[in-house]
Amino acid sequence: MAEISSSNVTDLESGAPVRWDNLRRGLYRFRSNTLSMVGLSALLIIVVIAIIAPFVVPFPEDAEGALHVTERLQAPSSVHPFGTDKVGRDIFSRVLMGTGLAFRVGFVIIVLATTIGVSIGGIAGYFGGWLDEILMRITDIFLTVPALVLAIAITAALGNGITNTMIGISLVWWPGFARLTRSLVLSLREEPFVEAAFGIGASNMRIIFRHILPNAVSPIIIKMTTDFGFAVLTAAALGFIGLGAQPPTPEWGAMINDGRSYFPDEWWIATFPGMAIWLMVFSWNLLGDGLRDVLDPRARR
Amino acid sequence: MNLRYYLMRRIFLIIPTLIGLSVLTFSIARLVPGDPVGLAAGPQATPEIRETFRRNFGLDKPLPVQYLTYMQGIFRGDFGESLYSRRDVFEDLKRFFPATFELTVMAIFIATVLGVPAGVVSAMYRNRIPDHISRVISLFFVSFPAFWLAMIFQTVLGRELGLVPIGRRFSIVEAPPNTVSGLYILDSIIARDLDSLWLSLRHIFVPALVLSFSALASITRITRASMIETLEKDFVRMERAIGIPYQLIITKYVLRNAFIATLTVISLNFGWLMAGAVLIETIFDWPGLGLYAVESSLSLDFQPIMGITIIYGVVFSTINIITDMLYGVLDPRIRYG
Repeated sequence: MAEISSSNVTDLESGAPVRWDNLRRGLYRFRSNTLSMVGLSALLIIVVIAIIAPFVVPFPEDAEGALHVTERLQAPSSVHPFGTDKVGRDIFSRVLMGTGLAFRVGFVIIVLATTIGVSIGGIAGYFGGWLDEILMRITDIFLTVPALVLAIAITAALGNGITNTMIGISLVWWPGFARLTRSLVLSLREEPFVEAAFGIGASNMRIIFRHILPNAVSPIIIKMTTDFGFAVLTAAALGFIGLGAQPPTPEWGAMINDGRSYFPDEWWIATFPGMAIWLMVFSWNLLGDGLRDVLDPRARR
Repeated sequence: MNLRYYLMRRIFLIIPTLIGLSVLTFSIARLVPGDPVGLAAGPQATPEIRETFRRNFGLDKPLPVQYLTYMQGIFRGDFGESLYSRRDVFEDLKRFFPATFELTVMAIFIATVLGVPAGVVSAMYRNRIPDHISRVISLFFVSFPAFWLAMIFQTVLGRELGLVPIGRRFSIVEAPPNTVSGLYILDSIIARDLDSLWLSLRHIFVPALVLSFSALASITRITRASMIETLEKDFVRMERAIGIPYQLIITKYVLRNAFIATLTVISLNFGWLMAGAVLIETIFDWPGLGLYAVESSLSLDFQPIMGITIIYGVVFSTINIITDMLYGVLDPRIRYG
């Protein structure tokens, strides 16, 4: 969040001193918010794990299709801290190798959904009229069906696999961003500084990118952060159903599905991937909850 | 502009959305790279058999014709038949919908019963220890993958401890209560059948509890925020000044005002929980729309999926209208127009 705001910091034209001040105050509030600092630290650790996992895990080949049938279904031990699955793959290695995948999946979904949603919501809010009417009715159509059901249908139609999961979820995730952006643009359009820009004859592009979007960034970032965890959760759910990543991909949801029939006797197969999902989603939620306090002080008093 | 006019207009406005929705799902179903006919006809099917299949289901006609035929059917209550099981989709929807509805209502009930008090406590002890605890607890629970938690609850509470049944809506050996609404709890009450009521409640409790977790955080958060906003109003200060007990102020005056915002979130959550039910139903073998949707998706059987999405669309739109109506009950100042 710091990087995005600081791009405006030296920009005198768009009210830099005020932004500087807001940023400093925001950072202070963020640092004094224990929960969000815990969330951020946990996420940083998870990122480090995702990056170094391929080099440090004991059995990197187990993240692919390796088979060690002689070592199947072993309980957690010093060799296999999280035990082994039905074909003898080391679950510790697979869970750690899955971290990077979960990050990529969440990132792609959120970036795609934000791009589509902000464009559609921004156009609808800024230009108004019949364009607004059409775009918002389309958005409404997506909002009348539970995202998960539509994502399941789209992913099933496109064919199983992690790429199609990401496409399917992004295609149902954008309406929230569109609604949010539209409401932000609608209120910003009435602000005196936007009217002033209109008055001196600034082009639409300039008004949108220089005056409206920079002021709409905070709520969008809050939503991206809180949605990230839930996007990871949704992708894992599709993996669990069997529509997402296919074995032997070390995707956490698919791993839980794999261990389901061995639960509770070989409890470790499904338990550890589930805990990994929880840890990642919890960290994102802590961070998102804290960011909400910082960037939108009215939300929490 | 009275209430009846407002209601009529709202109901009328659902129609274009539902038509759009049917076009969307129809496009998903027909423009897919997957091969539903191949899957349904089986791997040994000759080209002739596939062709017969295609003709029987009208898949050989141009798309707009197919769409119109489908829509004509819907208005007659005919949602087509499953490519896979050859069963009538409308009959299936009628059978599965009450199960999902009952589960979602129960989950919303549990989430409200747990979430609203948590939000009230948070607001009363704002930024103090109870507030932080309730915040962490709600974030803690909302972060669990529901299907994973469901699996663990089912095993530990059901299989290991034997406290609750491990799946389904009702006992396999006994007959469910006489079908009136299809909601077993309601039907048991109507039939004054205490055994059935107890059995239904035991079956629904764990699935509904796990499902409720995903709504807990947002209900707690919005209750807290709107309680705090209301607590700062002048009328609260006045009531405290004239000596009305604080407890009474909270329950009778503040909560009622704050509940309007909570109601919005509860109704939004109703939709999300119906979606979340998809996963819970898969774990608990709950014979509802979600299980039906997953099974149909896995076999690329799009006739049921189109029916399911349209049913969801109708339910969602109805809930939105009901929510707007309830605002008026809670806040008499709101006028519809």
